[in-house]
Amino acid sequence: MVTSSGSLGSWETKSIVTNMFPLLIVLCIIVLWAGITLEDAEALLETYGLLAVMVPTMVDMGGNLGAILSARLSTRLHLGTTEFDPRDRELWTNIGAVLALAATIFTTLAVGAWAIGQLIGSVLTLSTLLIISLTSGMAVAVIAIVFSILATYGSYKLGIDPDDTTIPIVTNVVDVCGMVIFIGVSSLVLGF
Amino acid sequence: MEFRSEFWSIYRETLPILVVALGGGLFAGLVLEGMLESVERFPGLLVMVPVFLATRGNVYGALGGRISSGLHQGLLSPRFEWNDRLVNAVVASFINGIGISIVIGVISWGALTLLGRPSAALAELVGIMFIAGLLTSFVMIGGLLGLIFTGYKLGYDPDNLVGPIVTTLGDIFGMAFLFLSVAIIEVIL
Repeated sequence: MVTSSGSLGSWETKSIVTNMFPLLIVLCIIVLWAGITLEDAEALLETYGLLAVMVPTMVDMGGNLGAILSARLSTRLHLGTTEFDPRDRELWTNIGAVLALAATIFTTLAVGAWAIGQLIGSVLTLSTLLIISLTSGMAVAVIAIVFSILATYGSYKLGIDPDDTTIPIVTNVVDVCGMVIFIGVSSLVLGF
Repeated sequence: MEFRSEFWSIYRETLPILVVALGGGLFAGLVLEGMLESVERFPGLLVMVPVFLATRGNVYGALGGRISSGLHQGLLSPRFEWNDRLVNAVVASFINGIGISIVIGVISWGALTLLGRPSAALAELVGIMFIAGLLTSFVMIGGLLGLIFTGYKLGYDPDNLVGPIVTTLGDIFGMAFLFLSVAIIEVIL
């Protein structure tokens, strides 16, 4: 969920590549941590294959929620309709909506994974999957909210367009948190 | 009351997009589960999976954002045509997408080697990433442009389409081609 490369003014192949490639390498190095966490959890995943089914969603969804919130906040900042005020009701409306979306999606993820488990044969019960999915999902949602707010307001204060670099970095950092928390919560719940 | 109606309008606008992304994510997860068997043959494969998926989002999300801004500014027309701007942007995302895939193979191998962990040969990891990156590029660029153009002509704001299209296509085709690429490398190396 990244929507800009730095210099939208330029449509030259060479400048698009030279502007963007360094950022891509930085993002790869950040997400490499998620990869190493996944590799470490290989034995866990081989025992409970259903967890592997949940991995891509757990990794993407935190970033998606963060990107949605950041985009809404940065649009409102550009429009001049908000200041950074913790009593701002619209800010809390957005936060509430993101939390409600997270609760819905991570409940659906658990049910979907459970249904797949019935087909491929899995020992994990629906309640175990709900505990794992909602605990890690809601934790990631809270992290996504905090990071998105700090990054959007921070870059606005510094005069940087958040679309350029802040949102890509935040969504990738949140992706990493999604993986680390999901593997951690799963190991804890399953006593692995 | 205003709080409540605003809350539900954000919820209703966003939920369908996230449900589509969830469907793509579950499909990708099934492919990942099927790929666990190949992990013993290629140690390091799992390290590359999240990085590869995240990179699809980063490269093609940027392309989608650029195309969508171009449409808004009237610099592009919503169809496949030999427009210099469109061609330059597409070529740049091919170079970024395939180039970064090779980098992923190299840094994953490098990180595993530095940490003293088992790793498949550098050529194997880079080969897997190169084939998967190449195949995914064609489908992502074609699919993304087709869907953005169609959506724009139907009156949807392309800004709202880019994120979910990229996440969903990236998960589905990224994992499917990664699986295929592992099978190809198993045969030829």
